[in-house]
Amino acid sequence: MKACFPVLGAPLTTVLGKLLLGCLVAFSLLANGAAASPPQTLARVAGTPLAKDFSLKGMNGKLYRLSDFKGKVVLVNFWATWCPPCREELPSLERLWQLLNHKQFAILALNLGQGPDAIFEFTGMLNPAPTFPILLDRDSAVFKSWSGMALPTTFVVNREGRIVYRAVGGRRFDDPHLIQQIKALIKTGR
Amino acid sequence: MNPMALHADNRNGDSGISARIRFLLWCAVLLTVFVNTTAYATGTRHKINPQTGIETWQTRDHGVFLSLTQLTPGQAEAFLLARGFDRKSAEAYAAACVFGAIFRNESVSSPVSYNLADWRIVTPHSERKLKLKSDWARQWKARGVSESARIAFRWSQFPTKQRFAPGDWSQGMTTYVLPRGGRFNLKFKWTVKGVTHEGLLSGIRCAANNGSR
Repeated sequence: MKACFPVLGAPLTTVLGKLLLGCLVAFSLLANGAAASPPQTLARVAGTPLAKDFSLKGMNGKLYRLSDFKGKVVLVNFWATWCPPCREELPSLERLWQLLNHKQFAILALNLGQGPDAIFEFTGMLNPAPTFPILLDRDSAVFKSWSGMALPTTFVVNREGRIVYRAVGGRRFDDPHLIQQIKALIKTGR
Repeated sequence: MNPMALHADNRNGDSGISARIRFLLWCAVLLTVFVNTTAYATGTRHKINPQTGIETWQTRDHGVFLSLTQLTPGQAEAFLLARGFDRKSAEAYAAACVFGAIFRNESVSSPVSYNLADWRIVTPHSERKLKLKSDWARQWKARGVSESARIAFRWSQFPTKQRFAPGDWSQGMTTYVLPRGGRFNLKFKWTVKGVTHEGLLSGIRCAANNGSR
């Protein structure tokens, strides 16, 4: 304490003045830090509704159906290449994908309204580039049926096909708190 | 050991403990003031990007954060052209005053909702509504803008209504029918736990035709 605040032996007025200054600096740093890095959370969805099934073509030409993933926790991310927070969060989704067991967990990234060429051009620039399936929601019908309002929006579906979590706006998906939420869902199913 | 020296040490120690307690008390007071002021309005903060001259206005109020960043006519037009709009339609959009908006729920536990239809553009002579994406959608359909372009437009605009859980946020374009370079205040509303709050983002300026000023 004395090493940090060598002024403690000084008269009270001087001490307080310096301490106040110290406190202000500390709190302004705290305030800026809090603003720069908002908490990374997934919000619980009330009533855990059944996720509406969909069947969409992937970038690889393969047809993907959500119900084929029953038994796994599935993260469904809606995005577009022209959406800045979508662009920012995609590499962190890939890091999450590399971290978790693919027998228990899947990621499906549904692009809204764009063609394979535009998507390929963009994903080729990412580091790490996504290796999880990217599906084409060309007319955004799936996003609308999932009551999506803004991009990016992410849903996490449990092993029974129910929506447990939702996140509106970009996230850092490799954030420890967020990883913990998904790991717990994989482990407990809830 | 000199007993007087020990006594002096003890006195210094007591004084140190007392100062530490005072320090902690002051910190507690400051922390309380800090938490209260950030939970309520912080007024409008204005920033200018030194490289581009683009201006941003932002505020924090009752657990929400709102930011508006200018889009120049050129940026707005280029965005729409790249989404497949014809030039005339893109120009029509760029003629309005366009801002990139960010709205964030910064509260710890309460969901927040808003409706852009309740927000108002305030100038010295009038108070009017924002131009919403449904207004534009009708215009695009009448102009025969392609479906893929309209889909991109729909999702690039700031959602008209939203409900945010803590930590949720949105970014999108908003439009204000005002002359380029004109100034206005934005009266915005949001609801937390059934209570509607009203905030003000003041001194906002539409980007002028040849840049931000």
